[in-house]
Amino acid sequence: MLIKIGDWLDERFSWREVWAAIFERKVPHVNWFYTLGSATLFVAINQAVTGILLTLYYVPTPDHAYDSVVYITTQLPFGWLIRGLHHWGASAMVILTVLHLLRVFYFGAYKYPREATWISGVILLLVVIGFGFTGYLLPWDQKSFWATTVGTQIAGLAPFVGDWILRIARGGRDISAVTLARFFGTHIWVLPATLAALVGIHLYLVIRIGITAVPKKDE
Amino acid sequence: MDNSEDKQLSRRNFMKVAIASIGGVIGAVLGLPAIPYIMGPALQKESDDWIQLGSISKVELDIPTLFKKTIETQTGWIDTEEEILVYVLTSNGQDYIVMSNVCTHLACRVRWIPEKDSFFCPCHNGVFAKDGAVVAGPPPRPLDRFESKVEDGVIFIKRG
Repeated sequence: MLIKIGDWLDERFSWREVWAAIFERKVPHVNWFYTLGSATLFVAINQAVTGILLTLYYVPTPDHAYDSVVYITTQLPFGWLIRGLHHWGASAMVILTVLHLLRVFYFGAYKYPREATWISGVILLLVVIGFGFTGYLLPWDQKSFWATTVGTQIAGLAPFVGDWILRIARGGRDISAVTLARFFGTHIWVLPATLAALVGIHLYLVIRIGITAVPKKDE
Repeated sequence: MDNSEDKQLSRRNFMKVAIASIGGVIGAVLGLPAIPYIMGPALQKESDDWIQLGSISKVELDIPTLFKKTIETQTGWIDTEEEILVYVLTSNGQDYIVMSNVCTHLACRVRWIPEKDSFFCPCHNGVFAKDGAVVAGPPPRPLDRFESKVEDGVIFIKRG
């Protein structure tokens, strides 16, 4: 039955070709460091799923942000787990992305013809850091408030444009309801859309060009 | 694998099964807690304590009398005050019935119109008699009643 449905769909979508291109492509004999990209993708999916679940209860206003986070963590069944996965996953994202980047760098995998893969990957790292920076404010507790104060203040130190950047980031002179709302909007709409587009490009290039072999000693 | 038990398990098939099982476990760990997480607030038990409405001395025979009461409820992480309105009716000064003002059709609020001697619902013209029985319109059943008790001339209703 399932095979019949699969055949019916394959006749219309040719999904088996797509499947083969993605999962049955030839790969060189590589080592465990080559799993860092997949690990990053896996954690990214975890972040997306748990993040969507968190938005079911989280409210991004100064009146409710902290209380709704406490409610998620202490009142809801498995709320502690969903939030915990998102919280620790955030750190894992940054660590894995950087390790993945280091692997690519030390193995020289950024070279021709994979420059576009590398560039999209570097932008992805910036997106991941953006996720971390905007997400950190959302619990609206003392730590997140002052961390964002410091973070935006640092941006304000840039020569000439600093004050302008600080005001845009905060949505005004101070950290306020406006800051919280724009950080939330950036965190759940702008960055995910950017991430999805870049991951699409990145994976297309990985599949299109293939991955590098482990460099030999004399290379 | 299922159609050839005598065939040796190949490396490829072993990996397939292993990946599917590990993936299944990870998917279950991530996916299953989402169900109670989403349903949690819907399954929460509401409190069922007695709410004091007030003195019954203002209730006249055979006339539904409106009682307003502000009760504190917790919705999610917010403590709110909710005003409940009920109609109290007695035909003998002994037995009291307490009716909800929520229309049984689609939950608009009904109002007692003394000149017409009935309850009217403004949304779809539901009409109820003074004891809550349906007189006209779409309501499927009489007005809901609260469990109630009278102690020392004060009437209470049960929450929920």
